[in-house]
Amino acid sequence: MDTIPFINNPAPVAQANRIKSIDSIRGFALLGILLMNIPGFGINWSYFQTILNGPHNTQDYYTEAAVDIFFEGTMRGLFSMLFGAGMVLFLQGKKELPDGPTVAELYFRRLLWLVMFGVINAYVLLWGGDILYFYGLCGMLLYVFRKTSPKWLLVLGLVCLATMAFKGQLGYNELREKRKEYKLAIQAEKQKQKLTPEQHQAIEEWNSIEKRNVPDTARTNRHNTKMHAGYTTIFEYFIPRNAGGESYGMYQWAIWDCLGMMLIGMALFSWGYFSNKLSTSTYTMGLLIGYGIGIPIGVIMFTKARMLPHAEFGAFIDRYRVDFWSLYDVRRLLLTLGHASLLMLAFRTKIFSGLMKALSNVGQMAFTNYLMQSIICTLFFYGYGLGYYDKLKFHQIYYVAFSVWIFQLFFSAIWLHYFRFGPFEWLWRSLTYWKRQPFVKEKIVTANTDN
Amino acid sequence: MTENYRDSSTAGSSNFLYNSNPSRLFTIDVLRGIAILGILLISIWEFGGYSSNEQLGLQLTKKGSDYYLFTLMQMLVEGKMRGILSLVFGAGILLFLSKPNHPNLPLNQELYIRKQMWLIAFGLINALVLLWPGDILYHYGIVGILLFPFLRLSKKGLLIAAMFATAIYCGKMYWNYSDDKTKLKKYKAVLLVEDRIKKDSGVRHRKDSSTGILAEALRKNDSIGMKKDTLTKKQKEEKGAWESLTKNIKYDSTNAAEKAEKKKLSGGYSAIWNHLLQRTQYKESMWLYQIGVWDIASFMLLGMALFSFGFFSNNYSKTRYLIIALVGILLGIFLTYIRIKLSHIKMPDYEKYINKHVVAPNQFFPLERVVMVIGYISLVLWFVRINFLNWLWNIFAAVGKLAFTNYLMQTVICTLFFYGYGFGYFGRLSLKELYFFVAEIWLVQSVFSIVWLRYYEYGPAEWLWRCLISAKRISNKKIN
Repeated sequence: MDTIPFINNPAPVAQANRIKSIDSIRGFALLGILLMNIPGFGINWSYFQTILNGPHNTQDYYTEAAVDIFFEGTMRGLFSMLFGAGMVLFLQGKKELPDGPTVAELYFRRLLWLVMFGVINAYVLLWGGDILYFYGLCGMLLYVFRKTSPKWLLVLGLVCLATMAFKGQLGYNELREKRKEYKLAIQAEKQKQKLTPEQHQAIEEWNSIEKRNVPDTARTNRHNTKMHAGYTTIFEYFIPRNAGGESYGMYQWAIWDCLGMMLIGMALFSWGYFSNKLSTSTYTMGLLIGYGIGIPIGVIMFTKARMLPHAEFGAFIDRYRVDFWSLYDVRRLLLTLGHASLLMLAFRTKIFSGLMKALSNVGQMAFTNYLMQSIICTLFFYGYGLGYYDKLKFHQIYYVAFSVWIFQLFFSAIWLHYFRFGPFEWLWRSLTYWKRQPFVKEKIVTANTDN
Repeated sequence: MTENYRDSSTAGSSNFLYNSNPSRLFTIDVLRGIAILGILLISIWEFGGYSSNEQLGLQLTKKGSDYYLFTLMQMLVEGKMRGILSLVFGAGILLFLSKPNHPNLPLNQELYIRKQMWLIAFGLINALVLLWPGDILYHYGIVGILLFPFLRLSKKGLLIAAMFATAIYCGKMYWNYSDDKTKLKKYKAVLLVEDRIKKDSGVRHRKDSSTGILAEALRKNDSIGMKKDTLTKKQKEEKGAWESLTKNIKYDSTNAAEKAEKKKLSGGYSAIWNHLLQRTQYKESMWLYQIGVWDIASFMLLGMALFSFGFFSNNYSKTRYLIIALVGILLGIFLTYIRIKLSHIKMPDYEKYINKHVVAPNQFFPLERVVMVIGYISLVLWFVRINFLNWLWNIFAAVGKLAFTNYLMQTVICTLFFYGYGFGYFGRLSLKELYFFVAEIWLVQSVFSIVWLRYYEYGPAEWLWRCLISAKRISNKKIN
């Protein structure tokens, strides 16, 4: 990356040296991630079942279809990719100093603080869908790959994603096995045979699996009561959930999900994909392939796997040997590529330069904006705030999301007019370098002070 | 995070193994050797199928030589050897990073991270391929990475961090105990409800027979009759939570769980793989998150602190080592005595225990481990210092130099001896027989380590590890 000038630490990246296109994409992803998170903040998950099993001409249904086909997972994907790219940027942009902390130390300190922020986001701000914790830990594993060639990074990333699909398929096989045993037991029951304890268990087990797909009003109400309660109740309610996610979820799922996309992001960054270095035709190809294949897969997945009425669940399992969810990462990767290409093309045409500038502001303050989404949304939806949890219709919660977008677009622009970093970025940096960082913007931004 | 240069002077030990390589510390190798061999005294329970139920049964008898042997292990060994190993690992982190950078290799810090990454990989192999769910390499790899940012902390800072981690570890013990208490409280509440339901139905029944009023009419008019006469789902869950908790810690004379376990472990490789997978995954995710990270980090940080203080380089006077040793071990034995006493009260009736005690038996287990471990290492350092039993420390040092090899070798030997795809001795040996087997392994590993080091510089696994870290083939010829 010879275009990125070397800067001695601990000076932060000067304004002029930031890669604008990356900031714009990051801003886009940051705002986009709210599309997927807002249901987690504001609505009971059983609502999805209600929408999908209900009539198809409602606004709720169209919203759900659009979000599910075009965006689900892709914003997290884009964000992970840029996180990988950011790690490379961080490590490449710094020279080793004779004494003082090495770049490696700064890198790991930075990530350990990120893990801490993630823990706070989950346990204190009470956002159960926090991703910072996972990024912090996965980022630590990226360090040794920072000099790996892009080709190998891509291969490694794909291996991670394939591992997920493979694990998904194994789980699906188990499900099919249970279904088979259930059917055999049912058959035996019909023939008036005496059932063995194993067969009884098989029937019971399958029934409980099917039950999971049916909305359970008692459970929904219990959950909503908790979410409408005060801070301590929700805090306690979230402990096992957060602990499970940060341990088991990390080990089984997040590691592959995040690491895969980060590695691919590092590869794409090394090829110059995010820094506006490739030809317009390459980005156009990316767009066409990404959307051209990604969207149809999204439609298939939505109509087959997502939209499945719970009554047909068993028949579905009988019919398909391959888990439709194994397409999840194929779709996600393609659509993410499509989004990135679209943004790069938009960035290039300069028609949208105003929007790009606004997004780039949001992206520069991504960390602040991410945490702010937790703060705003929990205060809007949870019981200790305005208490709108599960009170709005599905499409209505997106009005909240759009309001947050508008607020963050303006807030970021105004903030960066006066300050060098977002507040949490500043805190994070100061903690990483263990030294108070300059905060207020000077009138003239010196382009490359080199010191 | 200010101290840039730390005292890393290595001990000028006049030992034969250490003339060649000044970057090793004799004392650290000795301690590592002791820990590696000692760790088997406890892990043999799990390797050999000496189940927790059997342990419970033995502890309830409170007599016989097996009982005393087992209690002795609980008091003097359990948790301590792993403590020493973690502590020495922590010291090793600073030792590794304080060496001068190699001219032809990347920076030590880079090598350190690679080392940890490979350790994680070896841990996964140890757990998921060699099938040892009790593996710790994976955990050490991860915690080693998490502690990397602490390397510039001052001596005092490291000590404070260690105490902080120990405090959280103790706090977790308290938290777990209060969880149990809450479970008991809810269970009792459910029992009361259940009681009332029984009485209500009794009352209703009496009314029915005496007045002859229809039950349905009664249900409409009578407030008692209106009440639900079964437990709600949540109440059932709360009842079950306590019941399953006590079931797991109560002695089962039928040994049903052990028999099932023994049958599983006598199967072939893939059957055992499937059976152990869940346990391994739990250990590598939930356990690490809730307990392991504090357990391991507290000792590693302590080891880093002690290293900075020059504890392993014999920086203190002889008498000081002796005093620390005596105080540490005596205090440790006192704490362990209380723990065992309390656990003997807990075992037969947990409910009664909870009613009478504010803390769990293992509340101060983390503290007990810390003082005991400090006592042990001081004692060893004192012995080394006064040149007492030199031949013994040389053997331990040899084992310690091959610690990684020996650790993996224990897995290979034990799984092949106990599991079904090997000789299948799982669950078939008595406690004494198990310890006879341990002694055999000690003998084999000591001899192997000494002989190997006569011809090679590094143990086979250590050599492979080094090659992987530096990404090239390293000569393993003995440097003279």
